[in-house]
Amino acid sequence: MNPSIPRRLAAVLAAAALGAAGCGIAGADAASVTGKDELVIGVNRDQPGLALRTGGTYAGFDVEIAKEIARRLGVAADRVRFEPITSATREDRLTSGAVDLIVASYSITPERKTRVAFAGPYYVAHQDILVRRADTSVRNVRDLRGKRLCEVPGSVSFPRVTRERGVAAQSVKADGYAGCLAKLQGGELDAVSTDDLILAGLAAEAAKKGGEPLRIVNAPISDEPYGVGIARDDVAGCEAVNKAITTMYQDGTAAKLLRTWFGPVGLKVTTTVPQFEGCD
Amino acid sequence: MTVMQQAPAPPAPGRRGVRRALPRTAAGRVRALAAAVVVALAATLAVTWAAVADARDGVRVIGRDAGPQVVATGDLYFQLTDMDAQLASALLIGRAEDLGVRRADAIARYDANRARAGAALLTAARLADERSEEETARDLLSGLGRYERLASQALLLDQQDAHAAGPPSARVTAVYRQATDLMKLDLLPKAYNLTLDNGTLVRHTYEDRRSAVRAGTVAVVVTGVLLLALLVALQVFLTVRFRRLLNPALALATLLVVGLTGLSTVMLLGQAERLRTAKEDGFDSILALSRTRAISNSAYADQTRYLLDPGRADTYEQVFFSKSQSVLYLRAGNLAAYNDAVQRQSGNGRYLGFLGVEAGRQGIPGQRAALARVVVGYRAFQADDRRLRQLTGAGERGRAVAARLGEARGFAAYDASLVRLAALHQDVFDDAIRDGEDGSRYWEYGLPAAGLAVIVLVLLGVRPRLAEYR
Repeated sequence: MNPSIPRRLAAVLAAAALGAAGCGIAGADAASVTGKDELVIGVNRDQPGLALRTGGTYAGFDVEIAKEIARRLGVAADRVRFEPITSATREDRLTSGAVDLIVASYSITPERKTRVAFAGPYYVAHQDILVRRADTSVRNVRDLRGKRLCEVPGSVSFPRVTRERGVAAQSVKADGYAGCLAKLQGGELDAVSTDDLILAGLAAEAAKKGGEPLRIVNAPISDEPYGVGIARDDVAGCEAVNKAITTMYQDGTAAKLLRTWFGPVGLKVTTTVPQFEGCD
Repeated sequence: MTVMQQAPAPPAPGRRGVRRALPRTAAGRVRALAAAVVVALAATLAVTWAAVADARDGVRVIGRDAGPQVVATGDLYFQLTDMDAQLASALLIGRAEDLGVRRADAIARYDANRARAGAALLTAARLADERSEEETARDLLSGLGRYERLASQALLLDQQDAHAAGPPSARVTAVYRQATDLMKLDLLPKAYNLTLDNGTLVRHTYEDRRSAVRAGTVAVVVTGVLLLALLVALQVFLTVRFRRLLNPALALATLLVVGLTGLSTVMLLGQAERLRTAKEDGFDSILALSRTRAISNSAYADQTRYLLDPGRADTYEQVFFSKSQSVLYLRAGNLAAYNDAVQRQSGNGRYLGFLGVEAGRQGIPGQRAALARVVVGYRAFQADDRRLRQLTGAGERGRAVAARLGEARGFAAYDASLVRLAALHQDVFDDAIRDGEDGSRYWEYGLPAAGLAVIVLVLLGVRPRLAEYR
């Protein structure tokens, strides 16, 4: 008998076993945020109340939410690194893997969903209006007719009032919402309209520095679901982040954070869990 | 005997490793090969058995167990939205009897939804497999109680006021606002998230079982090939060693193994494919369309709320717009522009949103045509909306209310077309599950029988040769 037959058999077997093992490994998802023991999270750096960088540290609601998510994913606080991002760079940073998650007042839209996946939303913000407290003439968006409204070039907030709602407000341009705030307090304009959390952050900032007291009108004219940006194929990670957000609302952490950052300025916040987008 | 000498049989100290374990006599080698055949056969049968069990379990969970239950909890969202929609209708109708619907009809539908929602909530709570999900189900139950209290309060106050069709009194509106806010901000998100969680359960089972079946298929092929190789080796050994022609019993056993391995492989690949069809072409679409229907119904109710509560008309118009966009997304700055875009949008134009995802699904007979009818229905629904807002804008709220409650049939036709589209996916799902169940039927008898037959044949083939040594 040819002694090499058993050897050939052994070779065939080994090859087949390797093949089978290879199939097994392909099923596991090594890139999921659930398997990482350190995380890079993209945040804004210039939004008071949401995410503001002073020196090397970040503070705000978005930052706290990001820390809570990381903690609930089992990542220690000293293993979380924040990375500043802008609306222009965030999608590239995520798809290239430079950041693992994005928590940066990042509204979920059907168009963005074609490029990245979203866990959450962790909060549904609404476009609202900020006026000087003494000004009682503005009670809803229609009352902005003829008023001087801040316009930040590139932001969708001004056109939403004038074009979408058809309210003829006068444009006063400013660079960014911090610029709007200064002009509102200086009497150069009458109202600022953008996401309520951003307005609340601005109002809180203004209250800290003194000056003309401000008021949020509490007349929402849009839904802005703030999602947690995540790589498109990381379904397990997306589900884990959703679970983190759910428990964050169930144990009262989210309500506490909302009250801490936005309560003092009279914004009516929603303290129940938002409706998720779903991960698949 | 010459063959024996070909393989040099060095003195005992020279035999090392595996060779030392090899039997020295021809009879011993025949016995060893036959034993190896039996072991390999047992392994083949075992991995086939396990893969069949995985396939069956997948079909059972998706087809009979968690799958249908998740679809039932998906309907919870629809029932809750419809409760709030019927409450708004009842309050808007007032004591008017001459419209398409009466207050009592709306209240009856509210009650029916309430009963179904309760049952769906129980199912969802049973499916919950984690503490946070159980907590969500519990919160939902207590929230539903609060909602009902507010709803009956609003209905009672409204009855005392006995108004004509149109916005109710301020005190009724105030209570209704509390109720609808509770529904929108608290109950609906939780119901939706609970269905998502339950859906995750099905997805995990599906992925586990499907990859287990596929890995099992590879294992079946590997062990089957090994078994074949051993049978061939035995055949060759007998032929050469005993100078015989083909051993018929062994040849038959070999053929049987070829057939068994081939059949198992084809069957398992088929089962994996049926699981995929049931999950992706059936279950996923059914769930997504159930959400589409619920969100559409809720947008339809936003039209009622827009007429019911002029103080919040802007907000209700905006949420109608954003819900519409989640159903069929076209880029547009405001509702009027969106409406234009929907009317202009041709049958095969590209769009995103729930219907956009559905448009991306292919290969289901009749699905294209059914989806086209959904889009046509949606267009009519949006055209009704345009008219309703134009009438309100022109100060003709009374005619708008009459149109909303009476003439505007666009929504009903659209909703029916969605139900028909979902039924197509349900058929695909049912067929795949039935085929899945049929596909592995009787294997629990077939496998042992085939195994027994192979063993008997091997024994029949080997015994006469071994007898030569007695």
